Amino acid sequence: MKNIIEVKNLTKTYKQLKAVDNLTFEVHEGEILGLLGPNGSGKTTTINCILSLLKYDAGSISIFGCEMQPNAYDIKKEIGVVFQEVAVFEELNVYDNIDYFCGLYIKDKKLRKTYIKEALELVGLEEFQKFYPKQLSGGLLRRLNIACGIAHKPKLIFLDEPTVAVDPQSRNNILDGIQTLRKKGATIIYTTHYMEEVEMLCDRILILDKGKILASGTNDALKALAHIEEKVSIEVMDLEETYIDKIQKFKNVEEVSYQNNLLFITYKKGNNNVTELIDYLKEEGIHYNKIYSERPTLNDVFLELTGKELRD
Amino acid sequence: MFFHNFKYTFLTLFKNKMLIFWTFAFPILLGTFFQMAFQDIENSETLHTMNIAVVKTDTFENHNIWKETIQNLSEGSDPLFSTVYVNEEEAKKQLEEENIIGYLKLEDTPKIVVKKSGIYQTIFKSVIEEINAQELMLNQMIQNGDFAVDYSTIYQKIEEITKKEAPILNISRANLSYTMIEFYTLIAMAALYGGILGMTAINQVLANMSHNGKRVAVSPVSKGKLVLSSVLASYIVQLIGIALLFIFTIFVLKVDYGTHLALVLLLALTGSLAGLSMGVTIASILKTSENVKTGIIISITMLGCFLSGMMGITMKYIIDKNIPILNKINPASMITDGFYALYYYDTLDRFYFNIVSLLLFAAIMVMISIFYLRRQKYDSI
Amino acid sequence: MTVFKTFLKVLNKYKGTLILYTVILIFFAGFNIETNDTGTDFVSSKPDVLIVNQDEEVGITKSLVHYMEDHSNMVAIKDTEEARDDALFYRDVNYIIYIPAHYREDFLAGKNPVIAVKSTGDYQSSLAELLLTRYLKLAEFYQTIETDEETLITQIEATLSKEPVVEMTSHLDRNQLEKATSYFNFANYCILAGCIYVICFLLSSFKTKGVHKRTIISSTNYKAFNRKLLLSNALFAFALWVFYIVLGIILVGDVLLSMHGIFYAINSFLFTLCALTIAFLIGNAIVNKNAISGLVNVIALGSSFLCGAFVPMEWLPDKVLTIAHILPSYWYIKTNEYLKGLEVFDMDTLKPVICNMGVIVVFIIIFIIFTNFISHKKQIQK
Repeated sequence: MKNIIEVKNLTKTYKQLKAVDNLTFEVHEGEILGLLGPNGSGKTTTINCILSLLKYDAGSISIFGCEMQPNAYDIKKEIGVVFQEVAVFEELNVYDNIDYFCGLYIKDKKLRKTYIKEALELVGLEEFQKFYPKQLSGGLLRRLNIACGIAHKPKLIFLDEPTVAVDPQSRNNILDGIQTLRKKGATIIYTTHYMEEVEMLCDRILILDKGKILASGTNDALKALAHIEEKVSIEVMDLEETYIDKIQKFKNVEEVSYQNNLLFITYKKGNNNVTELIDYLKEEGIHYNKIYSERPTLNDVFLELTGKELRD
Repeated sequence: MFFHNFKYTFLTLFKNKMLIFWTFAFPILLGTFFQMAFQDIENSETLHTMNIAVVKTDTFENHNIWKETIQNLSEGSDPLFSTVYVNEEEAKKQLEEENIIGYLKLEDTPKIVVKKSGIYQTIFKSVIEEINAQELMLNQMIQNGDFAVDYSTIYQKIEEITKKEAPILNISRANLSYTMIEFYTLIAMAALYGGILGMTAINQVLANMSHNGKRVAVSPVSKGKLVLSSVLASYIVQLIGIALLFIFTIFVLKVDYGTHLALVLLLALTGSLAGLSMGVTIASILKTSENVKTGIIISITMLGCFLSGMMGITMKYIIDKNIPILNKINPASMITDGFYALYYYDTLDRFYFNIVSLLLFAAIMVMISIFYLRRQKYDSI
Repeated sequence: MTVFKTFLKVLNKYKGTLILYTVILIFFAGFNIETNDTGTDFVSSKPDVLIVNQDEEVGITKSLVHYMEDHSNMVAIKDTEEARDDALFYRDVNYIIYIPAHYREDFLAGKNPVIAVKSTGDYQSSLAELLLTRYLKLAEFYQTIETDEETLITQIEATLSKEPVVEMTSHLDRNQLEKATSYFNFANYCILAGCIYVICFLLSSFKTKGVHKRTIISSTNYKAFNRKLLLSNALFAFALWVFYIVLGIILVGDVLLSMHGIFYAINSFLFTLCALTIAFLIGNAIVNKNAISGLVNVIALGSSFLCGAFVPMEWLPDKVLTIAHILPSYWYIKTNEYLKGLEVFDMDTLKPVICNMGVIVVFIIIFIIFTNFISHKKQIQK
């Protein structure tokens, strides 16, 4: 598989703070790479370094096999960026905004026109072409922000938290759009602190914290890193202490807790854990209402790796 | 690409209502106010006919020289006096009601009565002194025992002298209307306000200044090209504003820029360039919000205009006289002084000195901005 | 109390603007303190004159120079023609007299030498010219009948020294009243700009979409809240007025502690109230801060220029003054100007003052009605 981006030993410090600490990773052609980490973990800084907006202290970055530089226009031509902040002109309407930014890449007016049309369709803003940014709701504004970044059909797309503070409808629209872009062959780098999005979208995930890569790999591979296999919660009325102690001693059980008539059990590994539990409850004549079994999430992985939650 | 960015910069600047208000409409409004307030000032400051009264006394009736001189001075198309001859009571009443500035009562010695001190009262007194002097001259001639000539010949001789113009030659320059300075500072203000346009345009293409700038920075267009086309677009917008202001001041407000139209144009172009370069410099060296930058440009401009006489024309003179260096580095003063030199002086040395100063100012500003604009990567965004 | 506290906190944000206008006012008043000192006795006005003497200062030339020096203010200007031209243009000097070389010789020889002058053409220069002409004519006259220079000069000077008796009827201290009037006239700008600007910004802060909604849904009585807000603004305007009066007393002098001062104060108080109602009107009609700052500038500068706050009313063209009738500032400044010359305070002489104040009160009522109308309409729209 071809590497689109290669980052080696990237380090960036702001005065005292090490924002990016000796980062090395690649982005493969055609994949969606998720950069997952809490606020301030260095995701945006990494992207800004890759884009040659920021000076960095050490390391090398190459895109499409060439070294990335501020005036590497051949590389830049193939890149589309959607920044975290909405970056559009207040004075221009939706269409003109896209036309301006697209025009920085595509000189041919006719081609640009069809590209803008496609971008508008992709983000679902066809009916808002003549609207000014001020007239758009937060979600629609985000969609415009995306359209401005990807209208020129780049091969490599950076999306920096495009769904922050976006309503569910717009969010779905945006996520669908990203998948469409990938289907059309684009390579995408996606940063977020929403693990659900990453799980849904990304082929590969880098988990960042304090400027370092904590783990990387596919969704499943990352989850395999977790010590736990399964999390079970059961609604049980007035469970006695002795039962809890007994359950604690079951095979594979890592931890048991009982709160507000809810019994939580985490299993380290193994199969048929739930069946075993149900059998036991039946045997003891304990009534239970609802039972849930969950696979570990990336949050659990993150929690195990750092001792803190992704979202704080 | 150059034109694409140019077109959109132009569009965004024009659609920014606040920007257009401050750079286009505000100078025109202010100019209108100036015109309304100042149009009559200089006229009011010239000497007008003053209303006086003369108390009818026997002495006055008997002294021809007094009677005739006052009468002469109250005649003609633009006389010095408009005189009424009344009794003392009436004169007092007129004075109290301020219908007259004062009255003359001629008995043994001339006496004038006024309500307050002032320039008109002084002139009134001065003229009375002069008539008094003439009478003294007359008496002197008679006393000199020059009886060979008869009274009427002497009187004629005196009249000859008093009516004759004194040997004074006025060599003042023609254009002395100092309120013009107000309008020149107005042009200076508009030219420097143009810096806000340049600042806004530049901010939009700098990655460390605006979000849009980041987007532009990752596009495959060279920064130099973008900056240049943005600057050019704002310069054109600025010049359109200045042109409108010129048209308005020349045709509606009747401001006199002197006779060298081409040089006026040259000054407007260089002045705007100075304003633009200042805006670009402030855009590229300061890392604060656009509002703060606008505030800084407005403050610098208003301070500059204040020093070059916008809020009181004498201020420019006071600075020029006492702290000349301050106005030599003040672009608003360079522009104002350039127009002044064109309007008032025949020679162009002073005008060109101002043009060169403005170009130098712009060059320094451009050099500073280039130093900062050359950076392509930033320490922080 | 919460409303008032928040009000003060927001107000604190705009203290810069207030300080700016106050500094401008102090600066302006300071400038005007240097006006001519006219006391209660008649004082001749003196034009500003410069003599460029290329002759030696002896004999008749000396006499001429001394005469001009006695009757005008001599101005020191750098010895270049450009400096002199600049001085003339900016009215630093009203009249420049160039005495040519060999003037004395030529004069005594009866050649009647010409003296070149530069003049600003205003009444100051007319006065200077009057003085010069008088001297030259007398000199010419005596020169024809007298040959000895000494006697000639004595005769000229004896004739010139004869002055008429001048009696002055009014003994008002016009100097201080003049100052007080220009101070309060200029305050027109500061009250309008400062007061409207700050109150509009304050109101717009309280009326910002989210803040406004939050206030409406809060448990505070909305009407009571509005009343408190109005009261806070009125208190602010009152404080500003008191401050400007105290500043006036410091800058202008004790004339403000007299009957005149009381009327100046009442007049400016009414005007401050009027500014307050204008501010409410604008603050209720417009929320956009950018638009407010544009509008306030236009209103404050426009009213001040058109009504004679910057340029004395008597110098404004009649057309402009006619238009100015529709502005409250006109009536405010008119009262100030009238007070300047007022000597006796009785019902008769105060009639115009009361009339002008009545007009301002009418303006206040109109603005309040408009404000209510607009806010009522806005509420219905919501």
